[in-house]
Order: sequence, then C-alpha cells, then structure tokens
Amino acid sequence: MNTTRRPALPSSLRTTLIALGVIAAYVIAWRGSQVDFPRLFRALATNEKGRELLGDFMTPDIVARDIAPVTLQLPLPVPCGSAPEGEVAASGPRLAPSVACAELREKFTVEGFDLAPNTELQLRWRLPSDQYFPGPFIATDADGHFSAEFEARPIVATKDGVPSKIEVELLVPVGNPKPSPAVYEVLDAIVITIFMALMATTAAVIIAAPLSFLAASNITKHGPMGAAMYYLTRTFFSVFRSYEPIILAMLFAFWVGFGAFAGVIALAIITIASLGKLYSEAVEHIDPGPMEALTATGANRIQVILYGVIPQIVPDFLSFTIYHWDINVRISTIIGYVGGGGIGYYLAQMINTSQNNKAGTAIWAIVIVVWAMDFLSAEIRKRLT
Amino acid sequence: MLEIQHLHKVYPNGTVALTDVNFTVNDGEFLVVIGLSGSGKSTLLRCINRLIEPTQGKIIWDGVDITAASGADMRRIRRQIGMVFQQFNLVKRSSVITNVLAGRLGYANPWASLLGMWPKEERDRALRALNRVGIADKASARADALSGGQQQRVGIARALMQEPKLILADEPVASLDPVLSHSILQYLEQLNRDEKITAVCSLHFLDLVHRYATRVIALKDGKVVFEGLPQEIDRARFKEIYGEEAVEVRAGMAA
Repeated sequence: MNTTRRPALPSSLRTTLIALGVIAAYVIAWRGSQVDFPRLFRALATNEKGRELLGDFMTPDIVARDIAPVTLQLPLPVPCGSAPEGEVAASGPRLAPSVACAELREKFTVEGFDLAPNTELQLRWRLPSDQYFPGPFIATDADGHFSAEFEARPIVATKDGVPSKIEVELLVPVGNPKPSPAVYEVLDAIVITIFMALMATTAAVIIAAPLSFLAASNITKHGPMGAAMYYLTRTFFSVFRSYEPIILAMLFAFWVGFGAFAGVIALAIITIASLGKLYSEAVEHIDPGPMEALTATGANRIQVILYGVIPQIVPDFLSFTIYHWDINVRISTIIGYVGGGGIGYYLAQMINTSQNNKAGTAIWAIVIVVWAMDFLSAEIRKRLT
Repeated sequence: MLEIQHLHKVYPNGTVALTDVNFTVNDGEFLVVIGLSGSGKSTLLRCINRLIEPTQGKIIWDGVDITAASGADMRRIRRQIGMVFQQFNLVKRSSVITNVLAGRLGYANPWASLLGMWPKEERDRALRALNRVGIADKASARADALSGGQQQRVGIARALMQEPKLILADEPVASLDPVLSHSILQYLEQLNRDEKITAVCSLHFLDLVHRYATRVIALKDGKVVFEGLPQEIDRARFKEIYGEEAVEVRAGMAA
C-alpha cells in the first residue's frame, strides 16, 4: 500500500491557526451576546423606570405600623372674643390657621403640618352641637403639608360660650413597627418552596437509592441480565439528567395543571436521575474488600450489600442528598416562576401586578434562604465522614 | 481432606494465573503457600472458596466437589470456610461487634439479619470470639479506630464465628508491622492445633514458614514448583522458587 504521509504542519503555523480560530469564536460570541458595557452606565442615568424598579427591589416591604384614624382639632372662636382662643401646637401633626379667631364671613387660610404625606383629607368645622359642617377636600404634599382657604360661616358662631373647632381627620401610623403582611405572605410562600424541594428530594431518594445499585457496575454487572439492568438504569439516569427542570415542569403543568404538584413531579424526576448517578458512583467507589470477605462467610447477596456496602456509602448518600435538597430549593424557585407554586410564583405575581416592594421582599427572602441552605448543607456535609 | 485437581485459572484479559495445580491438604494440616507476588497464591486461595471462579479443574473437599456446587449449596460450603485477608477487609465504619457478627451471616435467619437483629446467643458468641483474640474491650469501637494488628484480630474473630473446618489466610501479616506477625500467626496456630481447623495460609517470610508450616507448597508463575516439608527448603530450593536475585529477609526479628 502506498502510504504517503502528509508532512505535518510546522508547529508555529498550527499554533497561529488555532489562535485565529479561538479569536474568531470570541468575536462571534461577543456580537451574539450584544455586549454593550457603556449601556450599563447610560441606562443607570436615563432609564428612570428601571431605576425606580431597582429602588423598589432594594427597599422591600418588611415593616408596617398599624393605621388609626386621628382627629386634629383647634378651637377657633367666631366672632373674636366670644370664647378662649385655641393654642397651636409647636410640633407634631397640627393645624395652624392664619388667624386665632375670626369675624363672621371672614376668610382665612388654614395650614396643616406633619400630616400623612400625599393624602386626601377633608377640612371641616366641628360645631358646638357636635355636628360637623363640611369644608373643602384638600391634599397634602410629600412633606405632609397643606394650605387651604376657609370661611367662617354664620353656622359656626360660638354658642353658649362653646366655640366651633376646625378639624381634619387623618390616618396615622400608631404603635410599634411590626412585620408587614408581605413578610407573612413571603414566609408562607418560601416555606412552601423549601418543602416542595424536600418532597421532591425525598421521593427521589426513595426511588434513586435502590436504582443506584442496579447502575453500579461492581454490584450488578454479573451475567447478561445484570448487564442489561445496568445499562438500562444508566441510560435512564443519563436521559433524564439532561432535561432542563423548567421544561419538564411546564410539560407536567400541562398534564396535571399549574401549581406546586407539577413542580414537585418535575423536580423529583430530575433529582432521581441526578442522585441516581451520584449514588451509583459512590457505590462503585467502595472498598470491595468487605464485600469479598462477607461473600466468603457464606452470606447471600442482599446480606453482603446490607452489611458490606451500605455502611460504606451512608456518608456519601447523606451528603449528596442534602446537597441536592439545597439545589432543589433554587430550582423550585425558578420552577415556581413559571407556575409551579411557592416563592417563585409569588414573585412572578407581584412583578406582574407592579407590587414592586413586595417583589423586593420576595427577592431578599430567596437570597437569604438560598444562602442559608448553602451554608447549612456545607456545614452538615463537613461533619459527615 | 481437600483435594485440588488440575486447577487452571485464566482471567478474561488473558492473564494465566494458575496452570495445572494439584495438591492435597490433609485435615489438621497447616499448609503454607509461598511464592513471589503475582505467582498465583491469592488466586489459588480464592478458587478454593470460589470467590474466583476456576477456569478448569476440580476442588474436592470431604468428598464434595466445590467447583460443582451452585447457589445455596456454595453458600453452605463457604460458611464452613473462614477467610482472613491481607487488608483485613473489615467494614471500617461499622462497629467491631457488627463486623464479627457478619461472620455469622451464613447461619443467621436472613430476615432478622437484614433488620440487624441478632439473638443474644450470637452476640455472646461474638464476644467470646473477640475475647479469644484479646480485644473484647473494643467490641463497640468503630473498626477503623483500631490498629492494624487489632483489625486483623477482628478478622480472625469474624472467621471464628463461622465455626470453620478450614481457614484460608491470604497473606494475613503482610500489611502489618513485621514485629506483629507472630502475634497474629499464633492465633491461627492455636486454632489449627486446638480446634483441629485445617489452615491454608500464604506467607512471604521464610522464617515464618519454618516456624508455623507443617507442610509447604511453592508457586511460581502459577505452577507448583515445590511441595514438601519446610525444612526441605534450602538455599538452592529458595533460589529456585524466588529467582536468582532473591535474598532471604527475616520477619519478626524483634519477636
């Protein structure tokens, strides 16, 4: 046979070609991902809506105070001298008329200070008969201040030495700050997410643990039946591991309806595949010595596995399981976002209804829980040897 | 009586481990198998209880053809053959007593044993076995908390649980500090002498062979190259078995 070997490319040329190829790949990648770093900063300056949204996310709805109706009153004798004049408070929510008393039909200005900001109020007279006589609707500005024209109508005249009072009724926060309703909603939702992940992980462990022995070559691969089981379970694990959880969740949402159940099933299937693979590798990496020794004592196959294999794999199994629960909390957040219930679903709802401070609460809760799970699972795994 | 007849073993990758091995072990003997690493000693021992499936040949023990036994029969044969390993082969994370009890699995009620339930008499038997090898106080310790010598004694206690008629010992002292060799081999010798348990034991060091063996066979490249009494291994025989470059090393000189 005529074997003419092509002369190998000079190594410098080969290096250059590889370098060019790599550069070309990154050029395409750069363009494909529409990289525009200046936009990061430009957007910060110009995109007011986005800035507001980010601001809302950064100021989550966490504390609230009880709201109670409070009536502010100030005696205003009409006509002057018919009764003692009221005294304007120096600070706090207060009414400050431009005059201390008024003659009949006199017009004056009433100002309010330190009231609830951006709120609509009604200015009115409280008559000596304790009935009230309505005045104009007014709105406070961002500082909780208003200023309005008011008139001393004859009906407000002092009667039997009792003056009428100018009055506004407003809602003010009272009592100590306490967790807002959003906090309770978020807690509810995130607990659901954590338990969705727990359910999925538990279901997966129950199925994956026995299956993993079938997918371990040192346990199963004896004879044609064993080999068939081995390749079957291996293939099952590989196929389902490659599914994106979110896609599987949507498939199940069409099947059993949107909600936590669809999410849990999707999560469980992926966890079975993923844990099954990890478990079976743990089984394959055990010390074969004890299996050999127990076989030599005349123990049957199941006894050998129970006494010789399981004690060796318990720490790995536990460690993988906790690790996967941690992962599943994250995944179930995402799955929730497409309708799988829990905190993800809550977050989606809040964003869709522009309740951005509540969305902020949810985002922070996710960050804290994911961090805590990560930390806890790492700590627990450290202790397992 | 254990008869090995025309035993051959070829591994699936083509390695020839044993070629036409023939010998007989009489009841009560302490037969030592010697030979270089890779000469087939481990394969030979594992063929006897069929941890390794022989390619050809027969192994007949008290008139029963071990090589023909299947499934449950093989397990019943195995439970009468104790085995001690170079690496001890304990379940490191399990307690010492659990490791010893595991030696009884072949006799135990399968369902109870799967639930980890052992009758009191079996627990007592395990404690007696541990007592016999001098480490009853370690019963509840984790196996990997023990020293190498102690772990091998757990291995012997596990074999004792089988009430064996035959003990196979595969390099039982090769992983131990040489000064500990005698302490382990003395236990095997006691069992051999007092309980008439036949022993087939592979060893490295010639001084140990002289001290413990009642008879010796030597393997070289999977073939029996010597069979006889330990005293018959002189310098010439030694070179024959181990090759020209070999120099005798002594174990347990401190003992």
